[in-house]
Amino acid sequence: MKKAIIYINQFFGQIGGEEKADHAPEIRAGQVGPATEMAKSLDAEITHTVICGDNFMGSNTEEAIAAILGMLEGKEMDIFLAGPAFQAGRYGVACGTICKAVKEKFNIPVVTSMNIENPGVEMFKKEMYIMQGGNIAARMRKDVKAMMALSNKLLSGEEVGCAEDEGYFARGIRRQVWREDGIPASERMIDMLKKKLNAQPFQTELPIPKLDRVPIAPAIKDLKTARIALVTTGGIVPVENPDRIQSASATRWGRYEVSALERLKTGEYKTIHAGFDPAAADADPNVITPVDALKVLLQEGVYGSLHPYFYSTVGTGTTQAEAQRMANEMVPYLKEDQVDGVIMVST
Amino acid sequence: MRLEIGNFYVRDIVLGSDLVYENGTLTINKEEALKFICEDDRITEADIYIAKPGDKIRMCPVKEAIEPRVRPDGRSVFPGYEGELAQAGDGVTYALKNCSVLVVGRHWGGFQDGIIDMSGEGQKYTLFGELNNIVLVADTNEEFEKREQQKKNDALRRAGHRLAEYIAATVKDLQPEDAEVYELEPMIRRTEDVEKLPSVVYVMQPQSQMEEMGYNTLVYGWDMNHMVPTVMHPNEILDGAVISGSFMPVSSKWSTYDYQNCPNIKALYQEHGKTINFLGIVMSNLNVALEQKERAALFVAQLAKTLGADGAVVAEEGYGNPDADFIGCYVALEDAGVKTVGVTNECTGRDGQSQPLVTLDEKCDAIVSCGNVSELIKLPPMDIVLGELEALGRDGLSGGWADDELLGPSVKPDGSIIMENNAMFCGDRVCGWSTKTMKEF
Amino acid sequence: MVKEIEKAGFPIVQMCNLIPVAKTVGSNRIVPTISIPYPLGDPGTPKEDQWKLRYHRTKVALESLATDIEEQTVFKV
Repeated sequence: MKKAIIYINQFFGQIGGEEKADHAPEIRAGQVGPATEMAKSLDAEITHTVICGDNFMGSNTEEAIAAILGMLEGKEMDIFLAGPAFQAGRYGVACGTICKAVKEKFNIPVVTSMNIENPGVEMFKKEMYIMQGGNIAARMRKDVKAMMALSNKLLSGEEVGCAEDEGYFARGIRRQVWREDGIPASERMIDMLKKKLNAQPFQTELPIPKLDRVPIAPAIKDLKTARIALVTTGGIVPVENPDRIQSASATRWGRYEVSALERLKTGEYKTIHAGFDPAAADADPNVITPVDALKVLLQEGVYGSLHPYFYSTVGTGTTQAEAQRMANEMVPYLKEDQVDGVIMVST
Repeated sequence: MRLEIGNFYVRDIVLGSDLVYENGTLTINKEEALKFICEDDRITEADIYIAKPGDKIRMCPVKEAIEPRVRPDGRSVFPGYEGELAQAGDGVTYALKNCSVLVVGRHWGGFQDGIIDMSGEGQKYTLFGELNNIVLVADTNEEFEKREQQKKNDALRRAGHRLAEYIAATVKDLQPEDAEVYELEPMIRRTEDVEKLPSVVYVMQPQSQMEEMGYNTLVYGWDMNHMVPTVMHPNEILDGAVISGSFMPVSSKWSTYDYQNCPNIKALYQEHGKTINFLGIVMSNLNVALEQKERAALFVAQLAKTLGADGAVVAEEGYGNPDADFIGCYVALEDAGVKTVGVTNECTGRDGQSQPLVTLDEKCDAIVSCGNVSELIKLPPMDIVLGELEALGRDGLSGGWADDELLGPSVKPDGSIIMENNAMFCGDRVCGWSTKTMKEF
Repeated sequence: MVKEIEKAGFPIVQMCNLIPVAKTVGSNRIVPTISIPYPLGDPGTPKEDQWKLRYHRTKVALESLATDIEEQTVFKV
């Protein structure tokens, strides 16, 4: 029989209300509060219930996590559940916080539940399954049932369906699925077209996501003394491609020394980026990585110095996550060399 | 223009002593067919196989698919490409249904080539897994591109198109089992009833991004990189005016078969006179420089406006930078007051978390999504491989790789494969067949 | 990648052809290039012209790194 442990707050742990929100974390053998409801449909034995005051978790987060992880150490645990937290903000954030910590430490599935208005949703939806819960405790039965349905799939290894079908908040992942109704794109197009032409409501299959922004890095104060580095996603590499960077969906990058060069020479460098005509870049790699221009501008004193390497990978098909990782691997080199600014050339 | 497509429903294909079609069975004389193919002396070796749904066959690298067709009036099936220039879209053409001619490289593949499985888990990823296929496996003397990731595949693709017409010729004097009729009145001479309906154009964006000739989609044999958007009659698309290019990462590709059968066009025809006034096609393309993309969007919006379109459907052959052409046209149409629906595929990365299109705009509120080029697919070995499976990992196919720290090579020693959907031959079926969609997880 | 490098505190300029992509992705400093296969030099033009274009736009890119901006900015070439 698989084993489960659940986390609830002081209220659902029957310790008290707001006045007991500072309750330090404790672990009890057996099932307390919502655990008994969960036990009715969960395909695992709930062996313990962790109870922690919402304020304690909120104000002493590190301490609370450390304590709870310590309590869980050595216990048989196939899944960890928290909540449901409904619209209680501190509780929702606490559920997300502890679930994240347990997942990272013990590498087991975690499931929680809260209402869309709960701040915990935005904070944690990408990192775990958060079931779309009700906004009042009267929804307990329904929310628990939904949590258990998903939990059972995770326990049995059954494939988990899309967010819409299973009732959890989308985790920022889009995958292709085969439509059960088998309706081809041409018919979906006609249907969407007729509705749009007649000002009727329709549902797009590609909702335009909200875009995320990064604060503008302050400008270089004195360009004449600044150290500049060159980066590219155009796949310019030495002709042997020593770092075996892939020509699409790249996970590798390389850095190549340019301190002794005046320019990149054809036959010594080339592009490995798939999906565009490589002829121009192979004949003159400087059209993607303008080493020649940077060298002349350096001699003219437009800027102070050039970082000795250019950094290269391939953009097409490469996931944002891999691109982020690669950039984060490049950053220490730039920091170490006290680079002041970066030019990135994309294709 | 009135196009009548007479259909012959192929139920079986066998090799035999004569090229004959009888009672649903197509017989092909292999030696004669090969002799015909090898009239192009660039072909150095060739063989023909039959691959039917359920066969334990995997094909790689697949370069092209063509529906066998013949014009009883003697006009070339592909005017301006493999035959004299002539108007397409008018008159009668005969089609062998439920089958296709597939072109597979004997050895060498590239970014634009792909995989087809005829049975098992992989069968559903392409349309051709469900058709009876005449498979030409061949090699050529085109040494200049043998090791190039981007290939023109000219000799092989032409061979496939010629073979398709050669095979269909056997039904030239027979009676088709049924017929489809496609007819549109001139745009400004339609009946009052039709005029009352919202008018719609179908905007097509076939790939045309290579600046060297020989790779891009052709229209009446003309390289589509060298054009600005124009108006075409839907019948022209259905009747061989457009030849697929050799460039697109292959799950996004519209093969010649896709053009000949374009479900989106047929669906718009179905609605014509009932719920819409289908004006026709705005034929655009895909470009590599921002200014060219903007110019094309400008033309597309202007053509739609000038024709008086109330609505438009935009279909993109590709992902990545072509998304900018797609969104660009979509937004330009909306800004011109044309209510637009888009049809495309997405690239959300192996982890599913990347932005679905490289550029986005809130105005693009109606999109049909046909699939994810990034989806990882694992398939067991297949008994028979036509072509060379190693090409998937070795030759830079869009969804294959030589090695990967986590996943290893695309082609395992036992013949099982791990790949991205990106290499499934015409897998995303943006032309209208796709029964895939995208969901949030 | 541009955003990660900028998050680490480096002013960074993206030289690219598809301005709408750079804007959508969230690059703050952007300098246009002329195409995808050859961002800084059209092989169909004389070497001298290619050089001039490459020199000029690279210079604009350098100067953009030393320019204060309030919002996403596409620098004029």
